[in-house]
Amino acid sequence: MRITRKTAGRNAGLLALLLASSGLLAACNTSGRQEIGVYSGRHYNTDQELYDRFTAETGIKVKLLEAKDDALIQRLRSEGSNSPADVLILADAARLDRAAHLDLFQSVDSAALEAAVPADLRDPNNRWFGLTRRLRAPMVNPAQVQPTEVNSYRKLADPALKGRLCLRNRRSVYNQSLVAFMLDREGEAATAAWIRGMVANLAQPVYGSDTPMIRAVAQGRCGVALANSYYLGRLQAGDKGADDQKLSAAVQVVWPDPVHVNITGGGITRHSQHPKEARRFLEFLASNQAQGGYAAANHEYPIRGFGNDPVLSAWGPFRQADVSAARLGELNGKALDLMTANGWQ
Amino acid sequence: MSMSPLAAGDRPTWQPGRRLLSSGALLLALLALWPIGGLLGEGLQGLLTGSAQLGPDGGAQLRGTTLLLLGTALLGGTLGTANGWLLANCRFPGRRLLRVAQLLPLASPSYLLAATLVDLGSRQGLRIHGLGWGVLVMAVSTYPYVFLLSTESFTICGRRQLEACRCLGVGPWNSFRRIALPLALPAIGAGIALMGMEVVNELGAVQLLGIPSLSAGILQAWQAEGNPAGAVGLALITLCIVMVLLVGERRLRRRSRRWTEGVAGGESPAWPLQGQRALGAQVLGLVPPLLSLGIPLLWTARNLDQLRAGFSGELLQLTGRSLGLGLAAAGLAVAAALVLAIAKRWSSAAWLRSLTFLAGMGYAVPGAVLALALLLLGSPWRLAPLLLLLWGYSDRFLAVAKGGLDAALERLSPSLDEAATGLGCRWPAVLQRIHLPLLRGPLAVGALLVFVDTVKELPLTFALRPFDFDTLSVRVFQYASDERLAAALWPALMILTLGLIAALALIPGLERQGQDQAPSRG
Repeated sequence: MRITRKTAGRNAGLLALLLASSGLLAACNTSGRQEIGVYSGRHYNTDQELYDRFTAETGIKVKLLEAKDDALIQRLRSEGSNSPADVLILADAARLDRAAHLDLFQSVDSAALEAAVPADLRDPNNRWFGLTRRLRAPMVNPAQVQPTEVNSYRKLADPALKGRLCLRNRRSVYNQSLVAFMLDREGEAATAAWIRGMVANLAQPVYGSDTPMIRAVAQGRCGVALANSYYLGRLQAGDKGADDQKLSAAVQVVWPDPVHVNITGGGITRHSQHPKEARRFLEFLASNQAQGGYAAANHEYPIRGFGNDPVLSAWGPFRQADVSAARLGELNGKALDLMTANGWQ
Repeated sequence: MSMSPLAAGDRPTWQPGRRLLSSGALLLALLALWPIGGLLGEGLQGLLTGSAQLGPDGGAQLRGTTLLLLGTALLGGTLGTANGWLLANCRFPGRRLLRVAQLLPLASPSYLLAATLVDLGSRQGLRIHGLGWGVLVMAVSTYPYVFLLSTESFTICGRRQLEACRCLGVGPWNSFRRIALPLALPAIGAGIALMGMEVVNELGAVQLLGIPSLSAGILQAWQAEGNPAGAVGLALITLCIVMVLLVGERRLRRRSRRWTEGVAGGESPAWPLQGQRALGAQVLGLVPPLLSLGIPLLWTARNLDQLRAGFSGELLQLTGRSLGLGLAAAGLAVAAALVLAIAKRWSSAAWLRSLTFLAGMGYAVPGAVLALALLLLGSPWRLAPLLLLLWGYSDRFLAVAKGGLDAALERLSPSLDEAATGLGCRWPAVLQRIHLPLLRGPLAVGALLVFVDTVKELPLTFALRPFDFDTLSVRVFQYASDERLAAALWPALMILTLGLIAALALIPGLERQGQDQAPSRG
């Protein structure tokens, strides 16, 4: 036989490598400092810079776990009282509302948070607070669709737009929140008719993401698309390269009156071991000082005002609808049912 | 399917050792099946209470997955088999290079290929969307499984058989169709089963391409709709599909065993290809790797200006974690697979064989669901997230390590073990002196495949990793799903690099295959 010692030596080497790598992995834990665990559905490099600033100011270290929002909710549920998370940050009002209904948050008593976050952008029971605003609005190629043709969400279902509209699929929680918004304002029958009208107007089968849809508007394959404003913001700011910046110049955002506003927000977890530190963290994120960083990183709007992002300034001001974020969450289930029943793929 | 256990007369003196082996296998199988059992329990409860329903999209998701599976099996199976044959048994310019190139797609995650395709397409005004693109993406990403397993079989399809064909005036095509292909069917079947399982579990690419699929449905039902029973209902259907794949592969293997046993070794003859035939072989060998690796690289080349902006010192840390996890998972999965495969070979107990077969089912459970099952199991015990993560990887990729190992053990004649036992060797000695040297190739291939899969793996890593423990794949997917592909560039390049290193490590094994097989068979 050719092996024996040679093979044994190789196996031992492999085992040592494994142990070394396991040791390397295990050595990554930290302990002994004042710290909070943050589960976040946001993942931007500039977020980390903001967390570092918080640590520098307060001495509280931020341990971070970024993942998909729904996965974080499930993880928190599974971990129960053993969870190391103190703060949960999620994108979209419906997800925040769902987490609250699953009893994952605790109520927070903070005058600073109540002052910083308008009442309609936080939970009525102070379990979660909005931290940035996200707007879903029509984006047009003026060569095909005039802004006046789509200056209300209702007009997107107008038969005059047949063959010129593009939509993202119904699994997008942003679309679900928009339908919840329409449900609150227009009622069930009118919203169902609105969905059917939009589906009949589609120029292309539904898209899986916003950026290719905005590019399609720029290229004239869609006259108008419904997308979150920060996707266009990234393109027009040149974040995605010079080619995209040039291409997206052909796209114009249209503010319906009033505009549907969604949020990213956060709250303190039910079983937080460090609620005081977690509250300081949320207060920091909602503060005027931090708002520029958290919102501007992604070309979102701060929770109050319009910020100083040059791309957003060029789009001008808008009038915000008075449908609260909490209401969007409440109506999410019904919205999804309505989309399914009326052919929104 | 395993070989027949050893002579009954030897059993009494062997019992303690064998019991130890069986116990080890039992423990490993139970560890692998525990999370799946929990899911089945949940699903059964859901069926009884009526909450496990397919939902409004269930039909479309089942159809989407089935069509994607069939299309990919057909295209990927053909690509893998054709390249396996051409590169093992034909000679033409560029053959050695193309042989290496077949391994490159393993380095490129299918979600990265889909994301870059969608992005490049939408810039050019081309809509990359739907089943056809999904089949293409999945086929070029997964066909190396078939290539790797079939090429080994084609290589050992000995000189004597093919030379006999030649003497009888049978041409290359008929030699392939009548001799080599039937002999390679088990390996091709195992490769297609692995491909199929990758397809069933794929999440990122199908979501980006807008294909309704069971994996996306499971995630949607469980996480977004908070309906675990519905998710488990879909997971049960997925399990059934994978069971069909596994059972089909097992039957193929059993049926072809009588042929395999008569195979003699030796270097396979080289059919020279010239002119248009050589060109055809070159194109067939070049196009799939060019697509799977070339498109992300093309994307990178077009975004070089963003490459400088996206670099950060954190990249080394991310790479270190991915590397550590990949190595640990590969070691654990291969060790577990070896224990299970050897126990199956030495035991006549039907329950043990069934259990070792079922232990590979972890591959059938979508990563996100397996992660949640592990969280449910681990939370009451306060198990460390890293431990759960390694458990998850080993459970999920056990089938990857085990598939090649089982196929290789199938080809080792029982007479080898019988001769050794006749000379007084016990199973540890047979393992050490006969099996391990002969299984060196499949063990290495299994370890490298698990390594590459772990580095690319998303849902498990996403759901189970501890604080401040992002990996390369997590970063790539976060950025890609957030439509910020430029930010994903560096971590994606590092995944490609790690995958390429692992893929290149397979080359010596590939080159050696024919020579290694010869002494044991000649």
